[in-house]
Amino acid sequence: MSALDKPTFERIEAYVLGRLSADERLAFEQRLSTDAALRAEVELERENIMAIELGGLQRVLEQVRGEQVIEQGHGGPWISYLKYAAVVAVLFGAALWFIARPNANERTFAAHFVPDPGLPVAMSASDDHAFHDAMVAYKLGDHDEAISKWSALLKEEPSNDTLRYYIGCTELNAGRSDRAVSMLMSVADQSGSAFAAKARWYAFLALVRKGDVAAARAVPFAIDHPYAARAKSVIAELE
Amino acid sequence: MVQEGGPDRSPLPGTCARTTDLRIIVLRFTLPVQAKADITAPPAWVSGLQRNDPKTVRLLYKEHFTAVKHYVLKNSGTSSDAEDIFQEALTVLWLKVKEGSMQEASEPGAFLFRVAKYKWLDVVRSAAHKHMRVLHDDRQPDVRTDVQDDTEEKLARLREVYAKLDDKCRQVLDQFYFERKDLATIAAGMGVEEESIRTIKYRCMMKLRASRKTIAGDEYTDEA
Repeated sequence: MSALDKPTFERIEAYVLGRLSADERLAFEQRLSTDAALRAEVELERENIMAIELGGLQRVLEQVRGEQVIEQGHGGPWISYLKYAAVVAVLFGAALWFIARPNANERTFAAHFVPDPGLPVAMSASDDHAFHDAMVAYKLGDHDEAISKWSALLKEEPSNDTLRYYIGCTELNAGRSDRAVSMLMSVADQSGSAFAAKARWYAFLALVRKGDVAAARAVPFAIDHPYAARAKSVIAELE
Repeated sequence: MVQEGGPDRSPLPGTCARTTDLRIIVLRFTLPVQAKADITAPPAWVSGLQRNDPKTVRLLYKEHFTAVKHYVLKNSGTSSDAEDIFQEALTVLWLKVKEGSMQEASEPGAFLFRVAKYKWLDVVRSAAHKHMRVLHDDRQPDVRTDVQDDTEEKLARLREVYAKLDDKCRQVLDQFYFERKDLATIAAGMGVEEESIRTIKYRCMMKLRASRKTIAGDEYTDEA
């Protein structure tokens, strides 16, 4: 059985979801009446969509069930205990926050860090399918999947600055500052790389996050570097 | 209005019976029209379930759960059992609506109660619950046939299909197919481009298709 191309898939999807115009629907149904394979695809897609809808329904039902439990609790004899429990939970939470609150370096990092949004993923880019698959994972926050796929590509092209930059960004997003620094600095020092400026800035922020202010201060920013002023103010904040 | 009856239905002229006949004709031709106007739009709960509206699910739960809970509790069950049974009954109702096999005139409360009752009786009759005592409720006819078709089998199959999806696919497909959000809204919510969501949706659906085709014995090649 061959793959179902995207236009055909989306045509069937529109039919199943009732999103075709009257004329389009008529034409599609005429085709259906003579095409057994298409009929089979429609039935399969209809059932797959229904399976997803059923999954959603189960989720809503569980939510409603939870709400019912809370509603049944209103006015019950144990509601007063719940109130005390809520107060204790709030106090406990506040104490936990105080103990585990981020340190100054992490707060500074959080104030200045904006994750790289990634590159657009093109539907028809079948030639670099693996790269875009990893980009999709990156955008969805699946750090390990993105790194795994990009690292495999990097073995084939060790000097590829795009791969090294995004692996570094992913490490940074995942909170692994050390790995991020080494990967990003290799791009920052690569003359002519389109990612060099951003890589230097993110490497700098990674050092800030790990609390290595001396190393952060030592990151060289040229006077005309787009992030030079910001880097200077971050160092001033920390000192 | 007389014209509605057509020439072949005109009464004989000059008789007292004519007026009566005319009225009968008028009634005969107007009532069906009125009745048809009332049934063209499905009830709100039907259209709500058709579009997976959570508010409709909540309303059905709120209005009809108590009767099921009362029945289950009276027959050796717990509140949790009642919740399980009611959820299954509501799922059957949803599927019937989706398939268009739910009669328009059906009252959802009666249907939910019948299905829940039949399901609970099945539980009670099972080996694990043989010690329970069942108080039969003769007020409700036993309409086991409502759910005796392939509904259970189909629900099991659909759940099996859904279980094949990973979290990433569920996150996107659930929003698109269940919540009926458009691609742009999903993309904005997830902080990615619309085209990325479109790609993810297509690939996830193809994975699902491939897994089902594999089970069916066909070979799948990803050329997309």
